[in-house]
Amino acid sequence: MNDNNIFELKQVEKSFNKGKESISIFEELNMNIKQGEFLAIMGPSGSGKTTLLNLLGGVDQPTGGEVWFDDARIDSLNEGQLAKWRANNIGFIFQFYNLMPMLNAARNVELPLLLTNLSGSERDKRVATALELVGLADRAKHMPSEMSGGQQQRVAIARAIVSDPKLLLCDEPTGDLDRKTADEILEMLQLLNREFGKTIVMVTHDPSAAKYATHTVHLDKGQFVPEEA
Amino acid sequence: MNDFYLIVKNLTRKKMRLVLTSFAIFIAFLIFGSVMALNNALNSGVEMSADNRLVVTNKINFTQPLPIAYVSKVKSVEGVKDVTYANWFGGYYQEPANQVITMAVDPDSYFDVYSELILEPGVKERWQKHRTGILVGERMAQAKNWKVGDRIPVSSNIFSQKSGGHTWEFDIDGIFKGQDKQTDTNYMVFHHKYFMETQAWGGDYVGWMIFTTTDSALNEQVAKVVDERFANSAAETETKTEKAFNKAFIEQIGNIGLIIFAVVFMAFFIILVVVGNTMVLAIRERTGEIAVLKTLGFSSKRIFNMVLAESCLLSFLGGVLGMLAATIIVKGASAELASFLPNLILGQSVWLQGLAYMLLFGLITGIIPAVSALRLNIITAFNRI
Amino acid sequence: MSSVFSQSAAVISMNIRSLPRRLWMSLAMVLASAVVVAILLAFLAMAKGFESTMQSAGANDVAFIIRGGSAAELNSVLGRDQVNLLENAPGIAKDEQGPIVSAELYVIVDGKKRSSGTKANLPLRGLDLRGVNMRKNFALEQGRMFTPGTNEVIVGAGVLRQFSGFDLGSEIRSGRNSWKVVGVFSTGGNVFESEIWADAKVVQNLYNRGSSYQSMRAQLEPNADIQAIKDYVKNDPRLNQDVQTEADYFSEQGKSLSYIAIFGRIISTIMALGALAGALNTMYTSVSDRAKEIATLRAIGFSHMSAFIGTLAEAMVLAALGGLFGVIAAYLFFDGMNASTLGGSFTQVVFSFNLTTELITQGAILALIIGFFSGVFPAWRAAKTPVIVAFQSSH
Repeated sequence: MNDNNIFELKQVEKSFNKGKESISIFEELNMNIKQGEFLAIMGPSGSGKTTLLNLLGGVDQPTGGEVWFDDARIDSLNEGQLAKWRANNIGFIFQFYNLMPMLNAARNVELPLLLTNLSGSERDKRVATALELVGLADRAKHMPSEMSGGQQQRVAIARAIVSDPKLLLCDEPTGDLDRKTADEILEMLQLLNREFGKTIVMVTHDPSAAKYATHTVHLDKGQFVPEEA
Repeated sequence: MNDFYLIVKNLTRKKMRLVLTSFAIFIAFLIFGSVMALNNALNSGVEMSADNRLVVTNKINFTQPLPIAYVSKVKSVEGVKDVTYANWFGGYYQEPANQVITMAVDPDSYFDVYSELILEPGVKERWQKHRTGILVGERMAQAKNWKVGDRIPVSSNIFSQKSGGHTWEFDIDGIFKGQDKQTDTNYMVFHHKYFMETQAWGGDYVGWMIFTTTDSALNEQVAKVVDERFANSAAETETKTEKAFNKAFIEQIGNIGLIIFAVVFMAFFIILVVVGNTMVLAIRERTGEIAVLKTLGFSSKRIFNMVLAESCLLSFLGGVLGMLAATIIVKGASAELASFLPNLILGQSVWLQGLAYMLLFGLITGIIPAVSALRLNIITAFNRI
Repeated sequence: MSSVFSQSAAVISMNIRSLPRRLWMSLAMVLASAVVVAILLAFLAMAKGFESTMQSAGANDVAFIIRGGSAAELNSVLGRDQVNLLENAPGIAKDEQGPIVSAELYVIVDGKKRSSGTKANLPLRGLDLRGVNMRKNFALEQGRMFTPGTNEVIVGAGVLRQFSGFDLGSEIRSGRNSWKVVGVFSTGGNVFESEIWADAKVVQNLYNRGSSYQSMRAQLEPNADIQAIKDYVKNDPRLNQDVQTEADYFSEQGKSLSYIAIFGRIISTIMALGALAGALNTMYTSVSDRAKEIATLRAIGFSHMSAFIGTLAEAMVLAALGGLFGVIAAYLFFDGMNASTLGGSFTQVVFSFNLTTELITQGAILALIIGFFSGVFPAWRAAKTPVIVAFQSSH
């Protein structure tokens, strides 16, 4: 495996059973994602971009082929191992933020740290740092319901980076936001990529969002297609 | 923050639902605790019976008397250790409604047969020599606020004095205690001889006899010998173990008791079914959040445990409060009902049963959503929200 | 006003049509309401049955006399001389045989319950034919009357129903004595049917009672005042009796099971609170489940009131449905159920559960109360649902 690659997909197949019918999403998909890349995956609905993100995030498993992360194959891990792997390596950012409604911002950010052995004071320090980074240090005690969409998404970003994962996976992170707020969020992701060296994979159907990425690929009907002019 | 914090936050997210649900559980266990205490109180006589103690009554019915001469005849039966006898007095204190359980007994043998009753040294001897003396059980003395040395008037709703009137005056010579807490001490005893000499009709009979056997294995055989000895006499007898006698007495209340307990228990379980249903649905609403936790890397097992812990916590929250309230109510009622239900206590065993039901209820209501959380497929969950 | 009505009707029908979506919650509410009503009715029917068994036994024009302070027949004693004195009290009706009085004995014997096979106390009443005739509803159902001076007995229909070994023609052993059942009688379902009757003189003899009795009944002259007999007893130093009408005596005895009614009311009130908590949960869930629908209706012009009434109606319908099931269950399981228990005289009283329409009404009211309180607060919330909810995404 190339040292530069954080992800390598080899001949990945993915199909669903819907009733008696088998629907194929990917056949022999190959893909490399480089360390430090900010990759935007674009494509119309049903192109398989979310399925691809799920495969990368280890929430879904391929029907065939190999998924390599660093020097390990993750497609053969069981559910428990995958959970552990996700906790150690991946930060997730969702379209609808998916914050826990009953926890305040700081507690939401702290959530992934429950999966580590860090001490309480160390956790508090990290939560504070992460919130500061996303510019919400003063909102630590606010509940999600008391924050705007953009603020909630920034809390979600803080949650994604608090355990210092190598890779951030973003599923339409600006899909629910207005243009200005969306730009702020994207700038923040760009900052994380440039200054902190986070590898980012972002699924989006918004071309202006994709502009913030270092690379963009287009997916259609389960295959990468050259960028349209 | 830790898992427990998360569980508590989940539990308290909808305050109204939490209050309503735990209140319903509270009610269920309040009823459970009180009714179990009531049930145990009714059966405590059976539970506390000594296994080598037998009761001899008139075969017609236990309210019919026996000749006093029977006592020495029973004593001579092989396998009999101690014999004593008693007569019902029908006592009340000041008002007919204020019944006090009073018996005329044989002072020489009563405390040999009832060895679980404890007296201070010297008290028994003093009382045996004191014709108008009376010994009061600890619980009755407490309820009536009587002390050693008090002179108390006790009236009978059955007997009258030779000199007219229904009231006897007694001097309290001592207070007897029970060996354990459940021993019935809500009664008092005075000299049978004094009773017979002063009551209007006189006579030389006893109400019933109680004897102990040298070995409880002999019970059946001794009972048979006793009853055979008096067969075809003017007063035939029926001899039963104390346990059987008490049980028969309780059963006089009949299927009413059974119906009441059946109905109340059905109620208890149905409240739990109703509440359990709500709890299952409440957790099901959180499918999306559980999927997020899984995505973040929380293991299925950890989430499974958290869901179970949450429902158990809720169950114990309502349940323990309900049992506490029941304990307080039972404590209050036991003072009121002391003469009627002497052993009304919500004791350890009821608590343990209650806790077991809480755990069971928590597990049952938790297991359905916990298993679905365990099985939850992140992708389908995200498609659903 | 009519628009509120038609709007409400529209909302109600929508709510009801969406019920299957909340099937389990709705069923839980129906169940909760049903159980509370059934339990209340079970206890009340039990107490009612016992009470009417006792109360219907007493007559207002019969004086009932027992020794002072004895409270019940069982504890009482009346000497022959006292009975003779009492016969001459003023206000007692007379016929060609003299004063219409009945001196009676009351002895406890054992019977064996059919249900459990265990022994229970049964009253054996010693009386003469004049006493039998004083019971107005007395009728022989089987066999014949006992012959005075013999060891013949007649048994009440209730005894026959609940206890074994009392069939016509059978021998009853009681200690060394043996009785022969020659008749079965009824007295209109009251407490006397729980008794065994024999000739008073024979009972005196077999139970060593000498010439003493335990209670006395005296037929009062029309419009006679029982106070006259009370005064007569008071003024004679040889007498020390409690005098009351038979009706008063039995109504007092009938209260000995009134604790069951009280217990039942307490239990079902507490349970109603528990059920109310469950029902409120259901209704709040129902309102939040339909928030978008309610808001949409409000957006297109439905009033606050219709949202309120719609929700309240849903709760009332569910609770009433539960109440109906509760009444049916109580009727099927409990009405007419035979039971026997210890009555005030330390003897068994045989009675039937009696689910009267009055009690059913009480059950129905309870169901509606549960429905109202479980509906009114969620209905308030429904009415307050902001219209904006209709335009928000489900997230």
